Amino acid sequence: MARFVDLTISAVLLAGLYATMAYGLGLIYGVLRVVNLAHGGVIMAGAYMGWVLHGRAGLDPYLFIPLVVAVTFGMGVVMYRLLVRHLPRGAAGGPASLLLLFGVWLVLRNIAYLLFSGNDQTLRTSYSTRALPLLGSFVSLNRLAVLAIAVVTPVLLHLLLKRTYLGRAIRAVAQNADSCTLVGIDVERIYTLTFGLGSALAGLAGVLSATLFSFNPAFGSGELLKSFVVVVMGGLGSVFGVGMAALILAVVEVFAILVLPSYLTAAVGFVMLVLVLVIRPGGLLGQRVLG
Amino acid sequence: MTPGPPALVPARTALLFAGAVAILAALPLVLGFSPYTHNLVTLTFLMVSGALAWNWMGGYLGQVSFGHGAMFGLGGFVAARLMLLEPAPPAPLAWVAGGLAAGTLALGAHPTLRLRGPYFSIATIGLGEAARLVFTYWEDFTGGASGLSLPIDADTKYRLYWWGLALMALVIAASFVIRRSTLGLQLLAIKADVEAAADVGVNATFYQDVVFALSGAVVGVTGGLYASYFSFIEPNDMFGFDRSISFVLMSVIGGVGTIFGPVLGAIVFVLLRQFLLASYPQLYLGLYGLLLIFIILFEPLGLSGLGFRLLRRFGLGQKSAAKASIA
Amino acid sequence: MTSPCRSLCLALSLAAGLLAPRADAADKGKVLVGATLPLTGAEARVGGFFKEGYDLAFEELNAKGGLALGGKKVPAQLILQDDTSTQATAVSLADRLVNSDKVDFLLGTYASHLVEAQSTVAEQNRVPYLNGGGGATKIYKRKYKYLFGLISPVELLGTTLMQWVDEQQKAGKLPKPAKIALVWENTAHGKDFRRGVSDFAQKSGGGYQIAVDDSFELNGKDFGALLGKVKAAGVDLFLVDAHLPDYITMHRQYVSSGMCNKVVSYGARGAEKDAVQALGADHVSGILSGVWWSAQLASKNAQSKRFVDAFRARYGGRSPEWFQALAYESARVLFTAIEKAGSADREAVRKALLETKLDSLLPGGMIEFKPEFGQQVQNPFVIQQNQSDGSAPIIFPHDVAGAEGVAVNPRCAK
Repeated sequence: MARFVDLTISAVLLAGLYATMAYGLGLIYGVLRVVNLAHGGVIMAGAYMGWVLHGRAGLDPYLFIPLVVAVTFGMGVVMYRLLVRHLPRGAAGGPASLLLLFGVWLVLRNIAYLLFSGNDQTLRTSYSTRALPLLGSFVSLNRLAVLAIAVVTPVLLHLLLKRTYLGRAIRAVAQNADSCTLVGIDVERIYTLTFGLGSALAGLAGVLSATLFSFNPAFGSGELLKSFVVVVMGGLGSVFGVGMAALILAVVEVFAILVLPSYLTAAVGFVMLVLVLVIRPGGLLGQRVLG
Repeated sequence: MTPGPPALVPARTALLFAGAVAILAALPLVLGFSPYTHNLVTLTFLMVSGALAWNWMGGYLGQVSFGHGAMFGLGGFVAARLMLLEPAPPAPLAWVAGGLAAGTLALGAHPTLRLRGPYFSIATIGLGEAARLVFTYWEDFTGGASGLSLPIDADTKYRLYWWGLALMALVIAASFVIRRSTLGLQLLAIKADVEAAADVGVNATFYQDVVFALSGAVVGVTGGLYASYFSFIEPNDMFGFDRSISFVLMSVIGGVGTIFGPVLGAIVFVLLRQFLLASYPQLYLGLYGLLLIFIILFEPLGLSGLGFRLLRRFGLGQKSAAKASIA
Repeated sequence: MTSPCRSLCLALSLAAGLLAPRADAADKGKVLVGATLPLTGAEARVGGFFKEGYDLAFEELNAKGGLALGGKKVPAQLILQDDTSTQATAVSLADRLVNSDKVDFLLGTYASHLVEAQSTVAEQNRVPYLNGGGGATKIYKRKYKYLFGLISPVELLGTTLMQWVDEQQKAGKLPKPAKIALVWENTAHGKDFRRGVSDFAQKSGGGYQIAVDDSFELNGKDFGALLGKVKAAGVDLFLVDAHLPDYITMHRQYVSSGMCNKVVSYGARGAEKDAVQALGADHVSGILSGVWWSAQLASKNAQSKRFVDAFRARYGGRSPEWFQALAYESARVLFTAIEKAGSADREAVRKALLETKLDSLLPGGMIEFKPEFGQQVQNPFVIQQNQSDGSAPIIFPHDVAGAEGVAVNPRCAK
């Protein structure tokens, strides 16, 4: 029983992180129909930014989240204006955009290698080893903070999409870009902002992961794949869907330890990815987009 | 339909090809390569074969696979396990067995072939990573993360030059034949539009299976030769994501969908990698990233397309304008 | 379309021209020694330590004028490259060192999986390969003729660790039977450790019960699932075999999930300054580690003292850990063998290495490469225990111990 509580708690905490990683990927795909393979690279960049700011400025990693989010937003804007904009969109742009953004990822990885070498880094704060008792189990303070942010983020995202002009415009563009041009929405601007927003979410996920795991320039590939699984399963029909999918993935991964050697639990996510893709071949996100 | 079928392979081309292979076969004996050069050329042969086989999927069919490392690894480990038997079967037999196993694995990925474009690519990333984890865990077969050492025999490594050359010649010839045959046209049709291809009676599922299995088998054989080349293999290298993307990079950078492209791409890949390895062990990744971005944005036919363009600029080879297209 | 083969020939012959062999190494007037180390990547920290050891050995030698060969002094030069902690790179670079840079001998890289991969190149090209970084017995079971290991088998580490635990149990300080969580890296290194511990537990006749026996991936990022399993099993002994990066990541998660077991060990890791820095001295106190050498041996062994003094003088007063010591000693043993052989002839040096019987800084004081152990030394380990002030005195074996070990981790009482 105690074990069940333990595992459930770790699954919930993990789900928060997975959801945060996945929002950005889902948003960009939902609006631009571009699979952002550079997503993992931006997560890695976010992790390093957190690490550098913490190491150099000695600030608490949670304090400079706004800064990291702003910088990765800028990265997304630059990526879109400089590169992605020049590609044909939609199904025809599929493999080309995939490869293009893959190239961006390789470059990001290499920049990190040159700047920080390939060593594993960890971000250690005064409370990173502190734990709180909960239901007869212990919960890492840090993981709780990550979960809190992961709960706040979708609420904000939801409000942004539903309540603001920008959000409505984004949803409109996602549904039909051509008609948007007719009613005077600057589609290019919306695309740029969406790409920035998606990257910013990846950057946020990066800082959060940095407080939990060790990382190096190759960090982010596993995160990218898990984001795929979540987006594919949850669709972007609702922010809620992504959250649920993240929870499902986390629960399956965490409880797999009961039947599988721990070594193979990471493979569970990949197998789920393929299964979901094959069973739901209609599309990554189903038919509903940002509804 | 073309009026009057042209010869599958023009005699002049066939003759030139045979001549080139013969020259390459004689080269080490005539020039007396240093062991280092000898090995490097051998490695290039292997990578050319792998890149061309990937290109059957990525170029001819337009299915960009990020998971060919799974077939490369399986082929390598099956061959390695066979070569470790007492008594060991002849090495070529082990390589072929590895290829068969890899081809079978590719057939097993049949359900993913319903997916097109990025969906297929993402599914292959998932499959590749799952394969890496499973095979790394399966230590009775692969030796776990510490890998397998093969019996050491300097002669085999020396002779691998000709085996590699033979494999490469076979794969180049096959690429040529596939390209020029009806099969090639059917693949092009599938690449352009699966549904339209089905409408005109092309069995897309069947041909995709065939090409995936063939591509997997050849990559598997390449894996087997690679295992012999290094006398040591380990799953994280053989099945790794970096291995899978090396096939993508070689083909796309050289010029996807062509024959010359992946050949050129593989040569550049091996040389550049080797050149940068000692002084800037990580730099090659970023360099390939930049090349990839450049190629996707400006020159969809990669380095070979760039070469053709330059040739035309100087008034040469006007007729050799490339006809293939990007995935 | 141009015929692909014509251009191919052109490109290949061009490539061959570019890579023509370099100037012959015969009349170079020095002995070339090649090595790769993981200077970047997962093992970068330790790679840097090994480099310090190699550098010190070569500087000392060349300060004396070099190797004494046939009445002449010949300097030795180290060509060191970065294998980025990956096996494929380690293999390619070794091939390049031997066939392109024409080195006479090879010194080893660090970590068993890299040594295992790289030593195949040495064997293929018949180049003596001396390493202090690959402790897994599997490497030596291949019976390579040119491979020499200056690092005792990891299996012995598991056994030595259990001997100390057993002593504590007999003294009534640990429960009987004691439940063990045995967690090992899925490599030859980890399997050796597992064998050492589980063989001991089996022979103990019911003194120990292995409740968790699970492996993890080398350079893992998240050990949450694995630790959950250990936590649920409620064990007394948490025995892990991990490399430095995994030790840091795993132990951080271990502490932050509120775990504490009576005896905690990460095999050979535990006392590294990097780990103490990354985790805090408080959180690593009580951890046991079995190592191949410790600077504390300086008070018991003259060779160790000489090395520690030289190292401190060269590196600004810093104390060496076993990494630097084994690297230094590997280079020194190679030099001794070359001088004994009287030339840089590979076969003669291999023979000299086989006949080596040398006073050494290693525990046990003497090294020999016995063919029955695949030319791997069999020196004993020393067990250290971390204290809350950040130091880690030797607690076992008793003849070299500087402090008394504590059986039940005092951290758990809090």
